[in-house]
Amino acid sequence: MGKSNKLLIIDDNEEVLTSLYEYLSQKKYQVISASNGLDGLKLLDAEKGEFDLIITDLVMPNISGVGVISIVKKKYPTIPVIAITGWGEHPEALATEANADIVLEKPFELSELDKLIAGLLSTPKSKI
Amino acid sequence: MKIPLIGVSQSIERIRELIKHVANTGLNVVISGESGVGKEVVAQNLYLNSSRRGKPFVKVNCAALPEGLLESELFGYERGAFTGAERKKRGKFELAHEGVLFLDEIGDMSLPLQAKLLHVLQSGEFAPLGSEKEIKTDTWVIAATNQELEQHIKNGKFREDLYYRLNIIKIYIPPLRNRPEDIPSLLDYYIESYNSQFDTNQLAKPSNRIMEKLMAYHWPGNVRELQNLLRRMMVVGDWEEIVEELSITANPQRSSVPVKPTIESSSIVADILKLQGENSTGSASFSLKKIKKKTLDRVEKEVISYILDQTGWNRSKAAKILKISYKTLLYKITDLNIIHPMNSHDKAD
Repeated sequence: MGKSNKLLIIDDNEEVLTSLYEYLSQKKYQVISASNGLDGLKLLDAEKGEFDLIITDLVMPNISGVGVISIVKKKYPTIPVIAITGWGEHPEALATEANADIVLEKPFELSELDKLIAGLLSTPKSKI
Repeated sequence: MKIPLIGVSQSIERIRELIKHVANTGLNVVISGESGVGKEVVAQNLYLNSSRRGKPFVKVNCAALPEGLLESELFGYERGAFTGAERKKRGKFELAHEGVLFLDEIGDMSLPLQAKLLHVLQSGEFAPLGSEKEIKTDTWVIAATNQELEQHIKNGKFREDLYYRLNIIKIYIPPLRNRPEDIPSLLDYYIESYNSQFDTNQLAKPSNRIMEKLMAYHWPGNVRELQNLLRRMMVVGDWEEIVEELSITANPQRSSVPVKPTIESSSIVADILKLQGENSTGSASFSLKKIKKKTLDRVEKEVISYILDQTGWNRSKAAKILKISYKTLLYKITDLNIIHPMNSHDKAD
């Protein structure tokens, strides 16, 4: 594995965003972050969808995580998406419906997230 | 009826950007903001920027009709569905097929109708009253509200599942008083528009001094009030007089503008006892326990509001200062009904 994988993380909670950023950067991922759905999608478009994986919160200002997942799955269907949420069953169900690859409930262990990321990155991009 | 989104403020720029990004997704939208800020204008701009342009744009005001009527408006009915249903009526969901259904004042929709709406959003199908057959509909639902739906959920007045299903895209339009820089361009636009509509009583642009006053005014009725002011100006014809009227009406309302929360609450006991109202000392429901809870809530609310104010509503910072978790803080904000002084929903701006 020569080049490091590029991840986009979107969360409106500063603390979560910072801790994810620090942890994943340490894990040798190239991490880019956004604090809401619109900014996340703008970054994605600016890079022409050149991301290996997206991690998104669900309940956020402007474009919600469910919105992000729906748009990404239409525009860049090969990018795997992990939804992280602390808002209970309804956003979770909607994220699953929008075809999130994994829905992870907060709080979670960072090591658990790391394993899930590694799992998704090693899956060949043949879905959909 | 094409009305552009007028304004140069950062929030309006942001809304324009958001519209471009989501107009073609067909994802459910909730537009929120005070009365008169222009929620319908945003809905129309979403529609006009989408591939549904040219298809129907159907508006329903959920607050204007009683429950039964709203139901038949939305879903229609078959002939003989109820007494008086002499012929079949097509519902708005059917009329808005392939277009947009704009549900204004969604916060006023009754719970049974919310359940029916949720069903349509989930399945893309609905049955008119008196019919057993479900009709397929491809309708883009854009809802609008000037109420705090989150509070309605807590009070059991709004379904949580429907809330999340609608709020895939959230567009919050701040009140005009929070974006005075939009006032000159709004005035320009409407002066020009009224002048081209009416030959007589051409409106003059206000002088700089008048403009300053207009920008300092708090516009409780937002853009709608600004339009009404211009219509009144067409009759009065004198900016001085119009501005004079504003300053008279403005002063008594000033007190309704949220005041900065302070930590002092000198006679909390007297206040709490007064708050009890019907629970005065003689009443059966008077109890120390209740007073304790109310007092605690009130003190907590004041302290949290104060810290939020100090941190400019940076919730992470406030949680740290208060030494509570971020989640607890969010819960307390909702539970104690602490409202952002700018009434802001868009945490990003």
